[in-house]
Amino acid sequence: MDPFSSSSSAGSSSKFSPDDLMDQLKTQLAQAYAEEFLETVRGKCFDKCITKPGSSLSGSEGSCISRCVERYIEATGIVSRALFNQPR
Amino acid sequence: MDSSALNSPELQRFLNQEKEKAMVSEMIGKLTSACWDKCITGTPGSKFSSSESTCLANCAQRYMDMSLIIMKRLQQ
Repeated sequence: MDPFSSSSSAGSSSKFSPDDLMDQLKTQLAQAYAEEFLETVRGKCFDKCITKPGSSLSGSEGSCISRCVERYIEATGIVSRALFNQPR
Repeated sequence: MDSSALNSPELQRFLNQEKEKAMVSEMIGKLTSACWDKCITGTPGSKFSSSESTCLANCAQRYMDMSLIIMKRLQQ
């Protein structure tokens, strides 16, 4: 039976298979994680880059935001690797 | 879905794995946030200075050291 098919097979009245449930769960967890990450980055970069909100976003504010996002992603990598590379 | 499928060992194993993955993700998220605040004091540049990246790595490892001390303390 194709685990990704939601059509029922002989002898089964279920609409979803456990594989469907697991896939849905993985997708939802990934989405929740992505949203949380996004919210964190928004907060950090707003603090760092938008110090005096003007009537529009300046060019330097825009570049600061780009750099900030890249650095935050890089920081996440540094922290992850440090956690799993305990030298002591 | 047949309700007996909810008790399948495969699903249980999957849920435990996902729970562990979620806990690790959360730890990394919180640690990155805290260490960013401690280590990145100025405006973000186009790359980290070596002191900034060292600070971030140190921060994560010191946090783990601290966590161990706290657990030992609480077990006494």
